[in-house]
Amino acid sequence: MPRLIALVAAVLLLAANAYAADTPRKGGIIRVGNLGEPPALDAHWTTASITETLTNHIYEGLYSLDGANRPIPMLAEGHTVSKDGLTYTFKLRQGIKFHNGKEMTSDDVVASLARWGKQSIYGKALFAQVAEWKALDKYTVEMKLKEKSAIVLISLAVPNNFGAIYPKEIAEKFAPEIKATEWVGTGPFKLAEWKPDQYIRMVRFDDYKSRNEKPNGYGGGKTAYVDEIRWQPVPEVATRVAQVETGELDFADDLNLDAYDRLAKNPNARPLVSKPYYWLVAVLNKKEGLMTNQKLRQAWQAAIDIEPIMKNVAGGHREFYRMDASLAMVEITAWHTKLSGLPWNEHNKAKAKRLLQEAGYKNEPIRFMTTQEYKWMYDFALLSKQQLEDAGFNIDLQVVDWATLVKRRNNSKEYDAFTTGIGAFYDPTHPVFLTPSWPGWTTDEDILKLQAELARETDPKKRMALWEQQTRQFYEKVPVIRYGDLFGLRAIRNTTKGFNEKTERIRFYNVWLEK
Amino acid sequence: MPEAPRRSRLRNLTANRNVVAGLAILGVVVFAAAAAELVSTHNPRRLDPPNRLRAPSLEHYLGTDEFGRDVWSLVVHGSRVSLAVGLTTMLSTSLAGILIGLVAGYYRRLDLVLMRVMDGLMAFPAVLLAIALMAARGPGVWNVIFALSVVYTPRTAMLIRSTVLSIRETDYVQAAQALGRRDLAIAFRHILPNCVGPLLVQGSFIFAYAILAEAILGFLGVGVPPYVPSWGNVIASGKNVIREAFWVSLFPGLALTLSGLSLNLVGDGLRDTFDPRLGVR
Amino acid sequence: MTAYLIRRTLALVPVLAVVVTVVFLLIHLIPGDPVSVMLGPDATPAQIEATRQALGLDRPIHEQLLKFYARVLRGDLGQSYFLDRPVTTALLERVEPTLVLTVSALLVAVLIGVPSGIVAAARPGSPWDRLLMLSSLLGVCVPGFWLSLNFIYLFAVRLGWLPAAGYASLWVDPMAALRYMVLPAVSLGFNQSALIARISRSCMLEALQQDYVRTARAKGLSEGTVTWIHAFRNALVPVVTVIGITTAILIGGAVVTEIVFNIPGLGRLIISAVLRRDYPVIQGVILVTATTYVLINLVVDVLYVFIDPRIRYA
Repeated sequence: MPRLIALVAAVLLLAANAYAADTPRKGGIIRVGNLGEPPALDAHWTTASITETLTNHIYEGLYSLDGANRPIPMLAEGHTVSKDGLTYTFKLRQGIKFHNGKEMTSDDVVASLARWGKQSIYGKALFAQVAEWKALDKYTVEMKLKEKSAIVLISLAVPNNFGAIYPKEIAEKFAPEIKATEWVGTGPFKLAEWKPDQYIRMVRFDDYKSRNEKPNGYGGGKTAYVDEIRWQPVPEVATRVAQVETGELDFADDLNLDAYDRLAKNPNARPLVSKPYYWLVAVLNKKEGLMTNQKLRQAWQAAIDIEPIMKNVAGGHREFYRMDASLAMVEITAWHTKLSGLPWNEHNKAKAKRLLQEAGYKNEPIRFMTTQEYKWMYDFALLSKQQLEDAGFNIDLQVVDWATLVKRRNNSKEYDAFTTGIGAFYDPTHPVFLTPSWPGWTTDEDILKLQAELARETDPKKRMALWEQQTRQFYEKVPVIRYGDLFGLRAIRNTTKGFNEKTERIRFYNVWLEK
Repeated sequence: MPEAPRRSRLRNLTANRNVVAGLAILGVVVFAAAAAELVSTHNPRRLDPPNRLRAPSLEHYLGTDEFGRDVWSLVVHGSRVSLAVGLTTMLSTSLAGILIGLVAGYYRRLDLVLMRVMDGLMAFPAVLLAIALMAARGPGVWNVIFALSVVYTPRTAMLIRSTVLSIRETDYVQAAQALGRRDLAIAFRHILPNCVGPLLVQGSFIFAYAILAEAILGFLGVGVPPYVPSWGNVIASGKNVIREAFWVSLFPGLALTLSGLSLNLVGDGLRDTFDPRLGVR
Repeated sequence: MTAYLIRRTLALVPVLAVVVTVVFLLIHLIPGDPVSVMLGPDATPAQIEATRQALGLDRPIHEQLLKFYARVLRGDLGQSYFLDRPVTTALLERVEPTLVLTVSALLVAVLIGVPSGIVAAARPGSPWDRLLMLSSLLGVCVPGFWLSLNFIYLFAVRLGWLPAAGYASLWVDPMAALRYMVLPAVSLGFNQSALIARISRSCMLEALQQDYVRTARAKGLSEGTVTWIHAFRNALVPVVTVIGITTAILIGGAVVTEIVFNIPGLGRLIISAVLRRDYPVIQGVILVTATTYVLINLVVDVLYVFIDPRIRYA
């Protein structure tokens, strides 16, 4: 009999726990382990992903992305477009407070986005189409365009290098090319303290006014349940894993994939596969040198056998890579293409050899730059080298540190190819590898013509047709070599609840601690 | 004290168990380096993704690394770069260290200048100084050796100087000076033998440091590229999988330790022989 | 002695001047660029050039050097490109962790190294000697990260006795500070103890053969007295040198230990500054460590006189 009572009690307790687990509670400090220090906390200024992650807790833009990666209003109440499609009028939400207590008005929005339009890669692309940008009244702003544009809302919604709204005083104090070193936003958390190599402390902003909708992707309602987010840079990845295992961290990002099995066995924590992450890419120098030869680029594309490379990079785990030829990733449902017959992953040595011959290639060394600072880059470069050499290439693999790579790739004389990753992009006009201004220099007229059309065309169906055409063209002209999709590994303690596993980057609003 | 005849010294040396053991180990390692093609079972540079991280077996004596390369073959081939870097750096820092240390310890006027130069060199973080030197001279094994020699010489020089400082006041040096012996003769006959002990110890440590530092330079893109087999490179790459595949970093680490041990044994034996007061035990 | 001290202190100035200049030139020799790192992977060359201009990085090198001198003379080390604060502030934040780690690791190294060297020297060739020397050799050949990571797995993950990594200030929470410091101090100290043990043994062996030790033995003093009082003091000079060198290396930053155990010390500051080409921080750190080296060596040289009265400085 006592046994039965104990059993009933246990069941009741379990049920209570299950119930408790679904009820958010306030309080506590969430400790998040990440890779290192941000280069800046100025969202307009840098494209670095760590800055993106951190600043999205402090600042907000007019728009944000929903769960399907489409734009939804954030600080904007909504917008109207004139009949000719050339005038966008944005209504702002009222009563939004900055962390310094000031109310957000149209002046702040105009000043912030003007600065963003001069520095951010997305801002610059948008403001190239803007004729006039001004405040109509305290809560209304107007954007007049030179031509019809398809990218107004999506550009305002991208989370990277984003159009964060700063107080006017700060937006005007720092010139676009100088990084802002005062950090005041409207987000659910405010910056409390930044001690390099120890922590960045963000505390709940008590006057935060949440949207009424449910949380949705990066947007919707945001609630700061935890009192504080403590971002702790832990440069050694093995230590990050260990600290989640011991409970010194509640969450850790960017782990080595080999740790997956061990985390899966841990009773107090579990691994999360982060998707999308990057598709691996070898960017080819089309301005100068050997790779200006299209046949040679095609030969590289034909030679590689992508699956074994991806499997090795993914630590042997099928969970961590995906074989896909679409330029936009599967998660970006609006732009993911399902074309067949693309010359992707052909691993056709005979074809590669034939193309090499047609290119007139005489075994000249091809300078391929990579870095060990991002292990996956070195891994896929080394694996490619062997496959390419088996097909008749001569690859001079140059392993340098990241600071050298990002400097050298700006100089067309110094390399033929370099490794990097292409993160999620939310619109066909956004990928940098289809622009003439980014290293690698895609100056092909046909590609650029289609990109320009994509920026002007506003009908979604026609845009998709253009985008499919661009994808086919991509595999013919081969501006860069697309490998497979790689995923990342994160770890979360069981006591960390409410985390949205679906978004590309981590967010800690709507997250609470059960302890 | 009477000078031991040369022949018996040599006999002492070969009779010394330490020396014999040390030379034997060193011989094996040097042989492996010289005959790497014969001794290794696989091409150490050939990647074999399906066979990554295999545990030691008959097919792969020491297992495979994260690219499926055979660790045994990597260690065998790696001994070439590693021995070249380790031994040459050890020798060059010892020679430079002796010269600078003796001069500084003996000619007190030069001491102030020389030691401040050494302070200056020591002030740079070793890695930074090495990177800068490599950047200036370009990649390559000899430049790695040069850079590491510059980085590690001050440590040896300071140690020799301090030994000289304490020895030059001893009775027998003072006596030799009183007898009018030339400085050079005193330095070589009386002071240098006393420095041999600390020097050998420091030298075997620099041997190990240099082999590990070589991998750090490779990581930064200024040394031997990371895909060229070397002990340092294999140890560094094994760090990523230390919990999943201990063998990748363990075996090259053992090779390094054994070589270091052999140098120590030879060093101890040499000292015992050249310093007759210690005798052979 | 006083004259010597004055001369040595004055010698600081040219050393630092040369070091500062050489550092400045060296770091600009290294390929790479802070702005390309700062602006992130998608930045365009045009954007990078604009920010380089804003930071004055496009100016000729001699012009930048002169500006740098002018600032240093005013006691201003400049502003970090990455950390959004003056270099002086960034440096001051690191002093405490670095000092705590250095002192505790040094303590471990000396406590392991010196006694085991002496014990080994007292009975050279004995199994005890061989064991001690073999383990000290392991100490240097085991890469720092290997020992550290295994310590973390054993004592933090498996046994849960100590935290895996992190740092707490001694003034704020001494107990936590101590718990955090145990693993890094032991693994770093063990690594550094190897050289100290070897040098102690070697110098003790020398010292035990000296005439005055024989005299002491002949006088019938006990072996313990001979070892500890007569021989040890004489062997100390090189040992102190090695301890000095070790201190200098540790002050400059125990990079691997600080990274693995996540200690916010000078080592991490310098390595991330080097990797990201944060020029003002590199210059600042080296200026400070150079000064420290020179001062440590001064202390070591003065110590010689106290240990071995026969050494004199004219």
